[in-house]
Amino acid sequence: MKLICVAILFVSAIGLTSAELQCSQKELKIPKGWIDMVNPCVESMRNQIEEELKASMRYMAMGAYFSQDTINRPGFAEMFFKSASEEREHAIKLIHYLLMRGELTNNVSKLIKRNLIPSTTSWANGVSALKDALELETSVTKKIRKVIQKCEDNEKFNDYHLVDYLTGEFLEEQYKGQREIAGQISTLEKLMEKHGALGEWLFDKKLQGAE
Amino acid sequence: MKAIICISVLFFATLALAAEDYCYKDVVEACKTTTKKSVTALNCTAKYGAIDNLQSKLQRYVNHHFIRSFEYLLMATHFANYEKNREGFEKLFRGFSDNKWHEAIELIKYITKRGGEMNFNELSEGIRDEDKEEQDFELLELSSVAKALDIEKKLALEAFQIHEDASRKMNGFHDPEVSSHIEHEFVHKQRDIVRKLAGYTTDLSELLNGPDASLSLYLFDEYLQKQ
Ligand SMILES: [Fe+2]
Repeated sequence: MKLICVAILFVSAIGLTSAELQCSQKELKIPKGWIDMVNPCVESMRNQIEEELKASMRYMAMGAYFSQDTINRPGFAEMFFKSASEEREHAIKLIHYLLMRGELTNNVSKLIKRNLIPSTTSWANGVSALKDALELETSVTKKIRKVIQKCEDNEKFNDYHLVDYLTGEFLEEQYKGQREIAGQISTLEKLMEKHGALGEWLFDKKLQGAE
Repeated sequence: MKAIICISVLFFATLALAAEDYCYKDVVEACKTTTKKSVTALNCTAKYGAIDNLQSKLQRYVNHHFIRSFEYLLMATHFANYEKNREGFEKLFRGFSDNKWHEAIELIKYITKRGGEMNFNELSEGIRDEDKEEQDFELLELSSVAKALDIEKKLALEAFQIHEDASRKMNGFHDPEVSSHIEHEFVHKQRDIVRKLAGYTTDLSELLNGPDASLSLYLFDEYLQKQ
């Protein structure tokens, strides 16, 4: 009786393997010497990906707020939605950089938290949202500088190329972006000094035409 | 009897009339009084129909799109590492990620078009439950397409649910504008994506059953790159 059972199991196992698809392929032996990034640099780059996406969702909340009929600032909304998508692009750029350096071959599933719920979802007016945006960018700049420090001041390995990339591409965009927002705050605050509602309305129309 | 009917008809008629004239009445009131009435206190919103009752499901739908967008981005990332090196699969999932992202933004705009607002905390129980298990987005070729098919079907059925709510002739839910929007912006597109992914699983499961799975995957990836 036992024998029959074993035989049945054996046959069914054969039946299973013959129907099994060859989904995975054999282990590869690719030289790994070229993969030269080290920790904590890699770790801080991985974290920065989520930071960019968090910034993205904060802009998303601003876009949603200014889209409402009772707020009705389509120019602001469009600008913030655009910023949200730009921040997502930054995250993707960082991902591509790591992939280029041979990273992200494992632990990718936990790279991004599932939902990055924005904490603030309403603003007193356009100026306060712009000020929030400027503070957000300032904090992102600081975080990128920290990544650079981790990748540069490393006895094991000074990552010249990544430091150059972050400095030339990311910091460049941060500083230009911050200057732009600061200028917008200045213009809008001056406009609103004596003509609050009219000032913001005019500024919004100007933003709508900025496309 | 006749009088009662007459009175009640008159009563409902005035109610309906009042509902239509809220904004105008408020404005007249606001313009008359010396105390300034704030704009938000006026009954002049874009809301009509059943948006109040349908809003939370639409908000959920936005958030689910964001979550799926991030998941597809992780799936694309995995296929783009040097070991997997599957540019076609990367392109497929990156495309899905981009689409979910833009659809979410458009849906936020739509909710506000109907006088609603966005709530980033709204999630369905089903999505919350997924969090309880370990999530894996580093998948083999066929498994990734299978996962995508499941995701897309879930999204398609969720659109059906919103449509069902909006089509119920129940008071406070009937809203043909919402159901029509769901049809045009989601339902038909989803039909094509589901069909495409189902076709891919047919092809891949046949190809991987043959003598050279590696070559098959290479050729299939080349094919995906050109899509
Ligand atoms: Fe950024």
